Order: sequence, then C-alpha cells, then structure tokens
Amino acid sequence: MSVVSELSHIHVDHPKSAEARRAQRKAAGRDNKAGYLFLLPWLVGLVVITIIPLVASLYLSFTDYSLIEAPTWTGLDNYARMIDDARLHKSLEVTFIYVIVSVPLQLALALGVAMLLNQGMRGLAFYRSVFYLPSMLGASVAIALLWRQMFGTDGLVNTVLRLFGLDATTGWISDPKYALGTLILLHVWTFGSPMVIFLAGLRQIPAMYYEAAAVDGATRWHRFAKITLPLLSPIIFFNLVLQIIGAFQSFTQAHVVSNGTGAPSDSTLFYTLYLYQRGFGEFEMGYAAAMAWLLVVIVGAATAINFFASKYWVFYDD
Amino acid sequence: MALNRRQFLTGGLAVAATSMGLTACGGGSGGGGSSDGTADLQFAWWGNEVRNKNTAAAIDAYTKANPKVKVSPQPGEFATYWDKLATQTAGNKAPDIIQMDMAYIAEYGKRKALLDLEKYGADVSKFVEGSVDSGRIDGKLVGVNAGINTPALMANPKVFEKAGVKMPDDKTWTWDQLREVSAEITAKAGGGIVGIGQLFNDAMLSAFLRQHGKELFTESGLGFEAADVVPWFDMLVAFGKAKAIPAASVITEEIAKSLDQQALATGKSAMYMYWSNQVEALNKASGAEMVVLRFPSVSGKATDRKAWYKASMLWSASSRTKYPEEAVKMINWWVNSPECANINLAERGVPPNTEMLAAVKPKLSPAQTAVAKFIEDIKPELANTPIAPPPGGGKIGDIMARQQSDVLFGRTSPADAATKFVDEAKSNLK
Repeated sequence: MSVVSELSHIHVDHPKSAEARRAQRKAAGRDNKAGYLFLLPWLVGLVVITIIPLVASLYLSFTDYSLIEAPTWTGLDNYARMIDDARLHKSLEVTFIYVIVSVPLQLALALGVAMLLNQGMRGLAFYRSVFYLPSMLGASVAIALLWRQMFGTDGLVNTVLRLFGLDATTGWISDPKYALGTLILLHVWTFGSPMVIFLAGLRQIPAMYYEAAAVDGATRWHRFAKITLPLLSPIIFFNLVLQIIGAFQSFTQAHVVSNGTGAPSDSTLFYTLYLYQRGFGEFEMGYAAAMAWLLVVIVGAATAINFFASKYWVFYDD
Repeated sequence: MALNRRQFLTGGLAVAATSMGLTACGGGSGGGGSSDGTADLQFAWWGNEVRNKNTAAAIDAYTKANPKVKVSPQPGEFATYWDKLATQTAGNKAPDIIQMDMAYIAEYGKRKALLDLEKYGADVSKFVEGSVDSGRIDGKLVGVNAGINTPALMANPKVFEKAGVKMPDDKTWTWDQLREVSAEITAKAGGGIVGIGQLFNDAMLSAFLRQHGKELFTESGLGFEAADVVPWFDMLVAFGKAKAIPAASVITEEIAKSLDQQALATGKSAMYMYWSNQVEALNKASGAEMVVLRFPSVSGKATDRKAWYKASMLWSASSRTKYPEEAVKMINWWVNSPECANINLAERGVPPNTEMLAAVKPKLSPAQTAVAKFIEDIKPELANTPIAPPPGGGKIGDIMARQQSDVLFGRTSPADAATKFVDEAKSNLK
C-alpha cells in the first residue's frame, strides 16, 4: 500500500512553468518507456500467444473453416448446430460428471494428506515429494499410457485381482461402466499440487488457537471444524477455483487412454476431446472454435458462481 | 517464370524436343525448370517398422542419385498422422510429398490442397488397368497409387493347429461359416484365444453392403439406409454371442493398439481382418507365416463376394509446394524405378506398375509372393471399385465402431444402432 501511495505523490505537485512541465512530461515518458521495456516480454507473449489467437478463434467460430480452405462466414450457424448435436451433449455430461466428482474427491484427499504431513513427522520433505510426484506426471502421456496398460483387460490390475481368485474379465478403461471412473481415479491421484498449497496454508494457522481450544476441551473434530476449516477456507477456495478450471480442460488422459476416440461408447468423451475430434478429425475448425467459446462461457460461469458462493463460506482473517 | 518453362517442357514435350533440342530436355529431366533442381522436400508417411526402414533406405538412394535434392523425412503413426497433416496444412506447412489414404484423398483433393500431378509430369503409363483412377478427384490426378491392396482375412495356421481346427475353404464359405469356425476355435484353443480378433470394420461393411447390392458411398452421398445395416448389427450380435469375436472391452482396446500389439500378432486370435499388404509386417511381428484368406460371401460363392482392389496408399504432393517438379519427379522415381521398387518390394502393396512388379517378383518374400498371387487369383471375383469417401466420410469407421460398441455392451439394440449410425454418418458428410 505504502509504495503505491508514495508513487502517486510524485506527480501530484504541479510545476509552474510550461518548460518545467515539459521536462517533467519528458521524464515521465522516459520512465514509462523503461516500464514498457521491462513489460515487453510479457506483453509480446500476451498479444501473440493469447490475444491474437483469442480474437482469431472468436472470428473462426462464426465461420465454416476446414483448415485446408480459407474460412467462410456463416454467422451463428455453428452455435445453432450445437443445439442438436447429441455427441456435444454427451461430452458435456461426461465433463460435468468428471468435474463434479473428481475435484471434491481430489481436494479432500489433498487436505487429508496435508494434515497428516503437517503433524511434523520425520522425513517430511521426502513424503511431500513422493505425494507431489503424481501431479507432475499425472497429465503426461507416459502416465496415461501406463494407466492404459494397468487398467486394460489383461492389465496389471486384473492380473492382481485374478490372483485373489476374482473373475476379472472386463477392462477398467474399456468398459463404459468403469472407464470414466478410472479416469476420475487418475485425476484424484494427482492431488499433489493442491496438497502442497494446503500444507503451506496449514503452516500459517497459529498454533495458539489449537492450544487454547485444547485447554477448553475441544475435540479433534471441533478443532478441525472450528479452527482449521475456517482459517483454511481462502486456500480451499483458491484450490477449488483452480482445480475446477483445470478439470474442465482435461484432455490428455482421455485422449491417450481411448486413443482419441472417447471410447468406449463415448463414455470418456471429454468436451475438449470432442472439440479436438471436430477440429482436427473432421475438419470442422469453425465448429470447434465455437465449442471453445462455449467452454469459455461455461468455465466463466462456474468461476462466477464459485466467487458468489464464496461470500457465504470463505472466512478472511483480517 | 521458372514454373512456366517447366510446364512448357512437360506439357508440350514434342515442342520442347524440336525447338530446344536434346540439351534442354536433358536439363529438364535432370532437375527441372525451377532454377537448378535444388530442392528441400518434406516427405511424410505413416508406417510400421518394416516400412520405416525401407522408406529411409529409398530416400537415401534417391538423395545419393540426386545430390541437389535434400529430403527431410517425417515418419508417423497412422492414428496421429492425420491430425498432424491437417495442422500442417492449416499452417501452410504441409509436407511436399504426402503419403495419402483413400479415406482422406477427397477431403484434401476437393479442397484443392493437393497438386495436380499430371500437370507436372506424373507418369502412370505403365500402371495396370483400374489402378490409376482411384487417385483422381474432380478429374485431376492428385494421388498416384503406391501399391495395390485388397481386403482379406489373415489367418495364423499355428493357432488353427493349436485349436485342432482345419483351415476353412475360403472359396465357398459364408459369413455364417466364418462365425462357426471362429466360435469353434475360441472354444477349443483356450487360453483367451479367439477365432477372429477384428472383423466388423468399414471395409467389411463395404463388402457386406456390396453383396447386398448397396455401396458405402455413391456420388450422391451415403449409399445405404438404416434398414440395410440392421442385418450387419444382427450379425455382430450373433458373432458376439457365439464368442467368435473378443469381448466388447477387448475390442475397444484392440482399436487403440498398433499392429504388433494386436491380437493376431500376439497369437491371441486365429484370424483378423487386414489389408493384403500388411502380411509382411504381421509375419515380422508374430513370427508366423500368415495365410491370406478371402472374406466370405452371402451366397457361398467366391465370385459373388464383390471384391475390389484398393490403392493401399497414394503418393500426393501439396498444392502449395515450392518444388512441384522435384516432388513429382521423386514420386515418379518411387513408382517407376526398379531401384526403388527393389527396396520397397511389395510392402506398400503390390506395385501397380506392371514392369516393377515383374522386376521385384523374384525377390519377394514367400508371404509377399503369396499376396501377389492372391491379388492375381481374385481377378474373377472383382466387382466395380468403390469410390473414394466424400469429404466427411473418412470417419465412417469410427462412427460405426461407437455404435457397435454400444450394441456389444448391450446398451442399444441393433435396430437403434443402425438408425443412429446412418443419421450420424449422413450429418457428417459435407
């Protein structure tokens, strides 16, 4: 706060003469130039990597664009076609189930493990790294391939189940009853990054609150519900927003596990996967762009709801 | 300007010969009108282990003979090849020489992304009849047949032996008999081995429809109605019930696997639908000598099975290539030179150029010889050649596979699946 207010003082005192004013403007201009120069790498990135593709995709969403030929303007046609697109509706269903089930599970697991690690055990750094590892690998192609092998009909999981005498004949990734569940499991397994953030948040909670509560005879559950949860709620909120946005955009797992088809029976047809199929598989980049914008609206709405709801449960201790 | 001179050379060879003399001609064929014949060609193909090795060797041979031409190979896997090609085309970075598939040639050809090869001197004069036109889109030759192919059922005699089942007579068998033989193998072989690992794909649907007087595609769009494919889905259910084919979840996984991981190569099935040229790769991956079988017919007569030759793949060039002459020259070399034919043999299918076929015949492996003979033998069984799938038609196999998966998992009835399949296939056509 103080730095900003000091800075704002600099240009507040108006010099009298025109010459002095000019000199000042010049100096300010020089300052700005330096400022922009420092900003340049970020600005270039923003414009080239974000804004231009953003505008281009908005334009393309109103066109028929086959990738091979130049786009032709078709107005709202792409958006109108979405209403009757059964696979689009299926992909929305799959994606919403994925987000609504996997994010809370993942956060609960992350919080649970973070609290365990927060007990001040020996070798904390080691365990922290071990638990964090999956989130670095989880979205990678290699791990998705590994899961494809493990959860296949003759994969490791079924082999182990058969050792216990179970008649495991279905593939966990290739039976429409279980395929999405397996992908949700994969997502939950990558709980490391919210866990690390939770761990940092837990460290911020002053120990004296717990000591005072213990003196008053609060149970472990009370301490968790009345101290940990409220004081951690901004961190939970932060993780929730980020993880929901991330989950909506999940792509790699489904793409690799089903080889890009959304198989079996479209049960792993994530929204982004369908978008990709439309754009690159069926040469309908215009439609794919329109789908991307629908996703922007959906994610935007989900985030807005999140922020609105946060008023009622997030507690800021200041 | 350079381009015009080249067009002039190739378009009016007689004029060139008389007015410019032999030196000009020599210069032309030695590298073309674009400056001095230097070129940097991006060369893209999808393949398998055998093909990748052959292709790299052929490229080496070509660049050695043409030191001014640099060729940058872009090998790929079929599944990801098309995403990459679409992206490259959109970014104006399409490879100069493109290995093309019948499923996609109309998609690219009709959108003018492919070079008119005859305009730059593509030579298909020695090709066997009926093998050139599959590469023609809107009258222009945009793909040169790279090898003749025909759909077939590959059979592993070792697995037949293990199950104690006799190899069937493929000249008289019907779809029902195929199911019976397959079910018998599944029952007798044990160890998770099934009769036929893959049968219900778009090529076999095409055969099935043709035997019922329909086509996959006609010039006006989809060549069949829902009622025409209900028997197909019924047949799928019958095969599934008889355990002639693998369980539904295994079929789903099979689709995602590469050839060397699929059931036939790993000894997990006795038969499998493949294209005839894939026998070499299959033998290499499995260590067995596969037998090439005719797919069945409805009537039980091989002459009724409405077989066809297909271009296993085609050679195309990007319409935006900077080196059209050099690209076409290399394609010509690929399909018309004994040197290249001797490297590739029949791995991409039987060479459509009859002289090349004669040249490589003595060198073919026993399996490839068998395939070449098979292609020759089935000539009386051929019907018309199916047209290339129109734009949006290349994914028909995927759409069908989804519906079939629903049927096999018991999530929908054959009749509903047929309706959904036809509706979606129709709405995808542009």
